[in-house]
Amino acid sequence: MRFAFFGAVVALILGAAGPAGAHPHVWVTARTMMQFDKDGRVTGVRHTWVFDKFYSATALQGLDTDLDGKYSKAELDPLAAVNISSLKDFGYFTVVKAADAEVKLSEPVDYLVEEKAGVVTLAFTLPLSSPIDARLGTLELDVYDPSYYVAFSFAADTPITFAADAPKGCAAKLPQPPKEGNPNDLSESFFSQLGPDSNFGATLSQAARIECAG
Amino acid sequence: MLLRLRLALTGLLLVLLCAFLIAPATIGFAQSPFGVPGAPPAAAPVESGGRFDALGRRFLAVQQRLHRQLGDSIETLKTERAAAGMLVLIALSFGYGIVHAAGPGHGKAVISSYVLANEETVRRGILLSFVSAIAQALTAVALVGLLAILFNSSGARITGWTNTLETASYALIAGLGLYLLVRELLALFRPAPVGHGHAGRHAHHHAGHDHSCGCGHSHAPPAEALKHPVTLKSMAAVVAAVGIRPCTGAILVLIFALAQGLFWAGVAATFAMALGTAITVSALAALAVGSRDLALRYAGAGSGWASTIWTVCSVGGAAAILLLGAALFAASLGPARPF
Repeated sequence: MRFAFFGAVVALILGAAGPAGAHPHVWVTARTMMQFDKDGRVTGVRHTWVFDKFYSATALQGLDTDLDGKYSKAELDPLAAVNISSLKDFGYFTVVKAADAEVKLSEPVDYLVEEKAGVVTLAFTLPLSSPIDARLGTLELDVYDPSYYVAFSFAADTPITFAADAPKGCAAKLPQPPKEGNPNDLSESFFSQLGPDSNFGATLSQAARIECAG
Repeated sequence: MLLRLRLALTGLLLVLLCAFLIAPATIGFAQSPFGVPGAPPAAAPVESGGRFDALGRRFLAVQQRLHRQLGDSIETLKTERAAAGMLVLIALSFGYGIVHAAGPGHGKAVISSYVLANEETVRRGILLSFVSAIAQALTAVALVGLLAILFNSSGARITGWTNTLETASYALIAGLGLYLLVRELLALFRPAPVGHGHAGRHAHHHAGHDHSCGCGHSHAPPAEALKHPVTLKSMAAVVAAVGIRPCTGAILVLIFALAQGLFWAGVAATFAMALGTAITVSALAALAVGSRDLALRYAGAGSGWASTIWTVCSVGGAAAILLLGAALFAASLGPARPF
């Protein structure tokens, strides 16, 4: 009976703690640069995704074919190609919306993988099937994995940037999360002290909203 | 003596749990002085589209932090804080194992259903859980050891093998469920004549569910017919079906540790994870058995209700294993993930 009780407690904890079974295995810090054409319309998004140490180690495993302890572009290109081709089945984890309608995305271009101190970065450009003018209406950009095997978060600094030829007055807004609890909440401060992540619970991003004034 | 042993084990577990919770702060990981240059800039967990409530967001944040601390603790093993780092690694891995078992693929449902469906005691359920978890750990270590160390295979190939083993595991689970279900249904509809204490006068042949013999007691299939004795073969089948699926979290840790030249630390972490997973699965299996035994106690041994409970548990448990295995198998056949 003791065991049954213990089991019930564990089951309750697991049940409460498993919303959507969200249990990411890969953590990505994302940055996106909006691309424009000569007329100031958005033509695409260029993602730069920085992966966590664990996934990076797995991705790099066995790629150092000449065993020189370094990863050359030639050694990293196959990784980029494999990533891009398998991303297709998952919609590149990117959703772009204009006027609440989803914008079709074309095949990625200019993709590459870089490695620095064991951390892998994947960069690629996703062209929009047809350009959208952000001065006429808000553009929404969302980067996420619905199954949450990969946890995407926009970087805390410069998450969305604009290419040099962007029209003036372009800005991106990531919604601020609701303020959680009050400062005297013991559980909140307890977690804050423990974690190296000082942003704990502070920033949660939903879809980024991009607007260009005038 | 047994009580003392149980107390000691409980105490050890509590210590490990506490270590998992407070170790990073005490060892100084809170400020993460071992940040890797070029490491991903601090970014809080994302919750795109407003799908999660506060509890879900917090849980995600905890997972992210745990993930990072696991990596940090492995890296400290190359510094003079190696001993402390090792302790933290073990504690973190243990905690990770406990929580990780919430995800699919660690045998929770299979083992719980199995012990529910068979004449299993709590002790056997715990044994099954532990052996299965260790089997998964061994599979992960063997996989990475063979492919990464021996063949210097690419990460993509290792991931490919992991997916293959996962699919095979789910197929085996579905097969096991099918076998158990067929066995239960056969026992249900063709019960062997089992003596149940008739005083010599009623020479009934109990074919099927003949309740109307007028002798004043129920002729539902006696519980004994459905309570299959535990066989080593069936237990081995459960362990094999669950065990050939390596834990993906362990694979990640093993490859990372290998990249740091610390494969042994990865192995230690993997077994610490297995221990945590085993505990969670054991608890759930114990819950399953405890619930059934509670129901049986209220029903009264040998009554019609008891037989009904056994029937529901046996057939239901077998069906659950079959459905779960089939569903997971189908889901695992999707397109290969990019990361």
